[in-house]
Amino acid sequence: MKFGKMMLALAAITLLAVPAFADSHGGTLKVGVQAPITGSYANEGQGIENGVQLLAEQINAKGGVMGKQIEVITCDDQGTAMAAAICAKDLVNKGVKMVIGSYTSTCAEAAQKTYYKAGVLQTSDGTADSLTEKGYWTFLRNSFPNSAEAEFVANYLVNVKKYQRIVVISDFSTYADGLANAAEAAIKKLGGNVVSRDKIKADSQNFTPVLTNIKSKNPDAIFFAGYYSDGGQLRNQQMALGIKADFYGGDANDNPDFVKLAGSAATGAFIVNVPSPDVLPYEIAKSFIADYQKKYGEMPPSIWGLMNIDGMRAIIHAMEQNKSFDTKAAADYLHNMKEPLEGITGQIAFAKDGNRKGGAYVVKKIQADGTYANEYVQ
Amino acid sequence: MDIFLQQLANGLTIGSMFALVALGYTMVYGVMKLINFAHGDMVAASAFVGLTIYTQVMGQATSLFAVIAIFLLSAITMAVIGIILERVAYRPLREAPRLSAVVSALGASLVIQNGIMLIWGPRMRIFPELVPQVYWDLGGVVISLIQVIILVLSLVLMLALYLFVEKTRMGAAVRAASIDQDAARLMGINVNNIIALIFIIGSSLGAVGGLFIGLYYRGITFNMGWQYGLYAFIAAILGGIGNIPGAMLGGMLLGLFNAFIAGYVSSTWADAFTFILLILILIVRPTGILGERVAEKV
Repeated sequence: MKFGKMMLALAAITLLAVPAFADSHGGTLKVGVQAPITGSYANEGQGIENGVQLLAEQINAKGGVMGKQIEVITCDDQGTAMAAAICAKDLVNKGVKMVIGSYTSTCAEAAQKTYYKAGVLQTSDGTADSLTEKGYWTFLRNSFPNSAEAEFVANYLVNVKKYQRIVVISDFSTYADGLANAAEAAIKKLGGNVVSRDKIKADSQNFTPVLTNIKSKNPDAIFFAGYYSDGGQLRNQQMALGIKADFYGGDANDNPDFVKLAGSAATGAFIVNVPSPDVLPYEIAKSFIADYQKKYGEMPPSIWGLMNIDGMRAIIHAMEQNKSFDTKAAADYLHNMKEPLEGITGQIAFAKDGNRKGGAYVVKKIQADGTYANEYVQ
Repeated sequence: MDIFLQQLANGLTIGSMFALVALGYTMVYGVMKLINFAHGDMVAASAFVGLTIYTQVMGQATSLFAVIAIFLLSAITMAVIGIILERVAYRPLREAPRLSAVVSALGASLVIQNGIMLIWGPRMRIFPELVPQVYWDLGGVVISLIQVIILVLSLVLMLALYLFVEKTRMGAAVRAASIDQDAARLMGINVNNIIALIFIIGSSLGAVGGLFIGLYYRGITFNMGWQYGLYAFIAAILGGIGNIPGAMLGGMLLGLFNAFIAGYVSSTWADAFTFILLILILIVRPTGILGERVAEKV
C-alpha cells in the first residue's frame, strides 16, 4: 500500500515536471494575445485571437520561425484597463516575446509600460495618438493614428460636403475622446462650425437625453467617435427623435453589429474607415481570408483583426531577417525598413516613433439591405 | 419647452421600465424582508429567453401574435425560474440570519449572470426589430410607437397589480403576509404559497421589463442586469421599499430625474446625481416617499 502511494506520488511529480521541462528547454516561440475575448468588444477580440491562431498554425506547418514552433498564449482583457494591466503582467511572466493586441486603445495603453519594461514587443490596432507619444520602442502600431482619420473626416465634412452645423460625439475612452478632440480641432482649423461637442457613457444604452439637446442645435451632420456597440444604438435613437442630420461613424463603428443594432435606422448612415477586408485587393489578403473562412466558417469580424495579424507578421519577418529572436534588434529593423513588407492590409513599414506609415480612408454609406457602398475614396 | 417635453417623454419611457423591475424588488422585500439581488439578472435573463423563443420557437415570425406569444412564454419561463430560485436559494435560509439570505441572493445573482454567459455567450446579442419604427412628431416632440407601447403596457400591468393586491382575497393574503407572517399563518394563510406567488408576479413583471429593454435598446448583454437592477433598486427605495405604489412612483420619478439631469446638466453626471439622490433620501426620509415607518421586527 505504502509502495503504491509512493509510486502514485512519483507519477504525479513526473507528470508535473514534464511540461516544465519542455518549457525550460525553450522549444517554442511564445506569442501573447491580449484581446477582449469577452465583454462588449468580444466580437473583435475573438477575431484577433482566431487570426493569430490561424497564422501560427500556418507558420508552424511550414516548420515554424527559425525552427521554433509558435505557441499562442491568450489573455482576455475584457476591454477594460484594469484587466489589461493584469494581462500584461501575466503574459510577461509567461515569457512571451511579442504581444498581439489589444483591440482598444485604452487596453493597449494600460499594458504598454509593462511590455516596455520587460522588452516585449507589442503591436496593436489602437488608434489613439497617445500610444506612440511615450517613446516606447516596444510599441508598434499596425493601424493608422487618430490624427490621420480626424484630418480626413474634417476635410470631408467641411470641404467636400460643406456642412454648416456639425456635432461631434464621443465616449470617454482613450481612443474615442482622442479621435473626437482631434476631429473637432481639425474641423475648426478648416473653418468649420462645431455647434456641439458631446460625450456619452459607453454601454449606458439611453442616449436620448443627449440627442434631445443636440436636436435643439439643429445640426446637419453628426460625427460619432466611439464603438459600434454604442454607435448602432445612437443612430437608432437619433432617427427615433427625428434628427435629420447625416450620421458619420468613426472607424470603430465598422462592424456588422452596427447595422443590426440600428435596424432599419441604419440605412443612410455613413462609416469612415480604412478599406474593409472583403475589398482588400492583395493576393495575400484573399488567401488569408479564404483560409480564415475555411477554419472558422465566417468572415473576420472587421479589418482590425487583420491589422493585428499584419503586425505579427512584421515582427516575425524582422526576427527572420535578423536571424535572431532579440526584440530590440527586431524593433530597430522595423523602424528602419528599407523595403516595406507586403501585408494583408497593404504595405507595412513603421516610422521611428512606432506609427505605421501610410493610410487611406473611405466613406461608406449603409444601404437598405445593410451592405456598404463606397461614397468617397481618398 | 420642446426640449422639456421631449425629456419628459424620454424619462417616462425609461421610468416605466425601472418601475416594472422595481416592483419585483419591493414585493419580495415586503413579504420576506429580503433584497433579492438576483432580480436584475433575472430581468437580463428574460431578454435572452425572449430572444431564444423568437428564433427557436416562433421561427423568427414578426406578427403581432408572435410578439404577444414571446411576452407570455418569456413571462411563464421566468416565473418558473423565479419559483425555483426561491425554493433553492431562499427557502432553506428563511429561518437563518438575514445576512445569510442576502449573501445567498448575491450568489444567485452571480450564478444567473454567468449562466447567461455560458448559455448565450459573452457577446452582445441583438434583438430583432419586432416593433416597427413608427414615429409621431407632435409639434417638435417626437414619440415612437415602442415608447407608447412600453408606457401603456407598463401602466396597465401596474394598475392590474394594484387592483389585485388591494381588491382580491389573495391580495389581502399577500398584504397580511407582508405585515406579519406568523399571524398570517395563524389566520390560515399558506405563507409558502404567498411567497411563491410573489416570485411568480415579480419575475414575470421583470420579464416584461427585460423584453422592453431588448425591444427599445436592441442590444442585450449578459451583464446588463446589474445596471438595471441597481436603478430599479434605487427606485424601490425612493418610493419606499416594500410599498407597491411606491415602487411605481419611484421608478417613474427616477426615470424623469435621470432624463432631466442628463438633458440639462450632463449625461456624465446622471449616475452621480442618482446616487446623491439615493443618499439624500436615505438621510432625509429613510422610509422613502410612500413608505410608512413601521416598528422594526426583532
